[in-house]
Amino acid sequence: MTTIVNDFTLNIATANGTGSQSANLILLQSLFNMGIEVSGKNLFPSNISGLPTWYIVRVSDAGYQAPGDRTHIQVLMNPDTWAEDLADLQPGSVVIWNTDAKMVMDRVDVVSYPVPMTTMARTLNPKLARMVANVIYVGVIAEMLGIEDDAILAAIAGQFKGKASAIDLNTQAYRLGRTFANEELTKADPYAVEARGNPGGRFFIEGNEAAALGAIFGGVQMLAWYPITPSSSLAEGVINYIPKLRTNEHGEATCAVIQAEDELAAAGMVVGAGWAGARGMTATSGPGISLMQEFIGLAYFAEIPSVFWDVNRVGPSTGLPTRTQQSDLQMLYEGSHGDTQHIVLIPGTVEECFEFGWRAFDVSERFQTPVFGLSDLDLGMNRWTCEGFTYPDVPMDRGKVIRDRDVFEAMEDFGRYRDVDGDGIPYRTLPGSGMAPILSRGTGHDPSGKYSEKSHVYLDLMQRLRRKIDGARPHLPAPILREEEECDVGIVYFGSMENSIQEIDDIIESGGRKVSQCRVRSLPLHPEVEDFCARHKTVIVLEINRDGQLWGIMRRELPNHLVDRVHSVAYSDGMPPRASVYAERIIATIEEVEG
Amino acid sequence: MSETPARSQPIKLNIIDQPLDAYTGGPSSLCPGCGHDQISSVIISAAWENGVEPHRIAKMSGIGCSSKTPAYYLGQAHGFNTVHGRMPSVTTGAAAVNRDLLYLGVSGDGDSASIGIGQLIHAIRRNLDMVYIVENNGVYGLTKGQYSATAEIGSKKKKGKANEQPPIDLCALAINLGCTFVARSFSGSKKQLNALLKAAMSHRGFALIDVISPCVTFNNNDESFRSYGYVKENEVTLHMADYIPQRVPMEEIEVPEGHYRDITLHDGSVIRLETIDADHDPSDAVAALAALHKAADDDHHVTGLLYFDPDMPIMHDNLGLPEASLIDLPADALRPSEAALDAVVARFRGA
Repeated sequence: MTTIVNDFTLNIATANGTGSQSANLILLQSLFNMGIEVSGKNLFPSNISGLPTWYIVRVSDAGYQAPGDRTHIQVLMNPDTWAEDLADLQPGSVVIWNTDAKMVMDRVDVVSYPVPMTTMARTLNPKLARMVANVIYVGVIAEMLGIEDDAILAAIAGQFKGKASAIDLNTQAYRLGRTFANEELTKADPYAVEARGNPGGRFFIEGNEAAALGAIFGGVQMLAWYPITPSSSLAEGVINYIPKLRTNEHGEATCAVIQAEDELAAAGMVVGAGWAGARGMTATSGPGISLMQEFIGLAYFAEIPSVFWDVNRVGPSTGLPTRTQQSDLQMLYEGSHGDTQHIVLIPGTVEECFEFGWRAFDVSERFQTPVFGLSDLDLGMNRWTCEGFTYPDVPMDRGKVIRDRDVFEAMEDFGRYRDVDGDGIPYRTLPGSGMAPILSRGTGHDPSGKYSEKSHVYLDLMQRLRRKIDGARPHLPAPILREEEECDVGIVYFGSMENSIQEIDDIIESGGRKVSQCRVRSLPLHPEVEDFCARHKTVIVLEINRDGQLWGIMRRELPNHLVDRVHSVAYSDGMPPRASVYAERIIATIEEVEG
Repeated sequence: MSETPARSQPIKLNIIDQPLDAYTGGPSSLCPGCGHDQISSVIISAAWENGVEPHRIAKMSGIGCSSKTPAYYLGQAHGFNTVHGRMPSVTTGAAAVNRDLLYLGVSGDGDSASIGIGQLIHAIRRNLDMVYIVENNGVYGLTKGQYSATAEIGSKKKKGKANEQPPIDLCALAINLGCTFVARSFSGSKKQLNALLKAAMSHRGFALIDVISPCVTFNNNDESFRSYGYVKENEVTLHMADYIPQRVPMEEIEVPEGHYRDITLHDGSVIRLETIDADHDPSDAVAALAALHKAADDDHHVTGLLYFDPDMPIMHDNLGLPEASLIDLPADALRPSEAALDAVVARFRGA
């Protein structure tokens, strides 16, 4: 039997509320501590206790982070999904199962490692046996795969930071599992791990925490939010960092935090803070954005800086609230009634979550318009390898806001909505300043801010707004390009698809075809996206949704001669993107196009 | 003692040397005789008499006839005519970052009792420091005369049948929510409204003034409980209200002959409530509710300062913010240093 090193997918089936998350994170962190390329995905239910949860660990020297096409090692803890999980396994898979679950393990074509996990856990702590049993499987996996003892101990210490009794109990449970595996089980599977050196400066972080940290360094002054999965940890990240990073010498916060009564109010508070001259933000998910639409239109029309983070989950309606999707793009780009167009920043990595976390405020204040950060559950709530964060390389850009009366008085014929510089961006003064006060409004208004229903006034205003947002294109994050010399086929994608693209590319390449890639990082589209399309005979727009939302936007905005070459591969079943699923569809589309 | 100026003396200056004209706004486009215009004129006179710097006021409103009025007063102040029923949240966000302005909100009964009732409730719950005037006429004006949620059972507007659904009494609601300043007035009782509004401006916390403000076009017929004629006939005044500014020594104020209560406001000003029939204690929520229910049973409107609680913390007290407004903080107070980021990353790497 040939040993398979650092190339397998491990799936742990538990019920939520049993404490399995900390055991799974210990496992993930221990592999990371050995310098191995590893990613973890938590497939959790919208529930607090008792419903099925799976944790998928992908170990890949190739650096693949998608969940993989099949499970190589299955841990069975949950009687409710036992039979189905077991039936799904391919012959030759490994099953590590809790014999105390009193369930049948009747597959004879798999490698079976029975372990009395609950019984063993009970010897350590009868009351916490259900929770401790999870750490037993960590010990068994560690022994069977050859995870280093030090790596596990460091992970346990990190997980329970300074809580001696928890560290002690978990260490004992881990050792019990490891010793049992060593003494009672005989290795009969090919899977193993090997250390790949020090992880160096890299660390694990969730996208939501990175975006929160970015907002903190972006000078957020007011956070208004309403709890919703999967965005709550973004708002809570901001809240958690305020005491350490955003208090003055008296310990007073330099950012107000208000838990709103609903998303409408959260949006209203963000608009109020922006109107008053501050950096306001909210974090929500698709259902929240639906409720915020009216305010989004007001902020666009009255030109109020405001930052909205959308951590996308599966819709429509409540949908699959704990699964991932890229289905809010169009709603953000064209949010609210009437003619609108919004700036959307789309991170694909945790480093970019941080960067766009601060940059969103600069863009919003520069263009005096709502700016969205679009993340998703996969990027936001799972842990990703991070190289580090780059400190903002530019000072805060507060935009065309006049705070100084001398500057104001030097301006001739000031008008709140006058296009003085020809870039569509007007100047503004703030409430309380006494300078050129107006009644900001969602009704039609002339360049001085006065109510108007005149046709030419409305027309000029709407054309200026379009010119303003159009003018933002080159100033927004440019796409990331990876181009082949042939330039026959180019893949356009965005957001968390970044974590699957390398594997998708390798699958396509293994079939003898090379494709270029262009990762869109902002809307409206950067001019380089059009250039990329012009350089490739066939362009495939790859996204995690049903209808091809980015594809639709591109078809509308690209020049006519490029439209026919742009094709859609859009697919979403609620799962994080598995590379082969998308690669197959890309290949089929290319073949169809080429006839 | 009363210092209500006649508007025909514009040359007169207030304590910050401003003429009344510094507090006026554009011409009204409401129907001639609209109660809302009377309220606008009281806002102008109250702000002028109180000597508030006009540009230090933020005029907030939602959508509806009432919410158009900020264009008609305080032209030197910035304002925000927001979206329907959502003025409280916009005000909350603005107040969170700029606590140095006097937030003066104007809303209507559709805006506050229907579409925006949730936001009103939560602004009260936070004790947002603002004055919140409801210009309450029982009908939707801009959409041409549908009943609103404050219309009384049996009240009949100009067209259609009498209202059949029970009214939402915003004052009773506010008292039950612990609102710290709850008053009802009538646009035709300008002296009382003036005193209550000045007191509300001196209050630290959420001050609700529900003002019956007849709609002359759709709801001013005799069968309407909110017509000028009906309200004049059926107004029950709790007390004579007088506002005594902090700058006026109390010993210079004439002592009333009958029973009265002096209530000291946050800035040291006093609202003096002279008893008319029975004494009303505004610190007694149950008495205030009883007065409202009794008036409702009798198809009357009770006006005056119904409830007052000076002790509740305001929203800012619970946010842990500095005394200075957040909008005045320099960039280096908002963006932590590069060393701070390095320290955060070092902690991640050590984990």
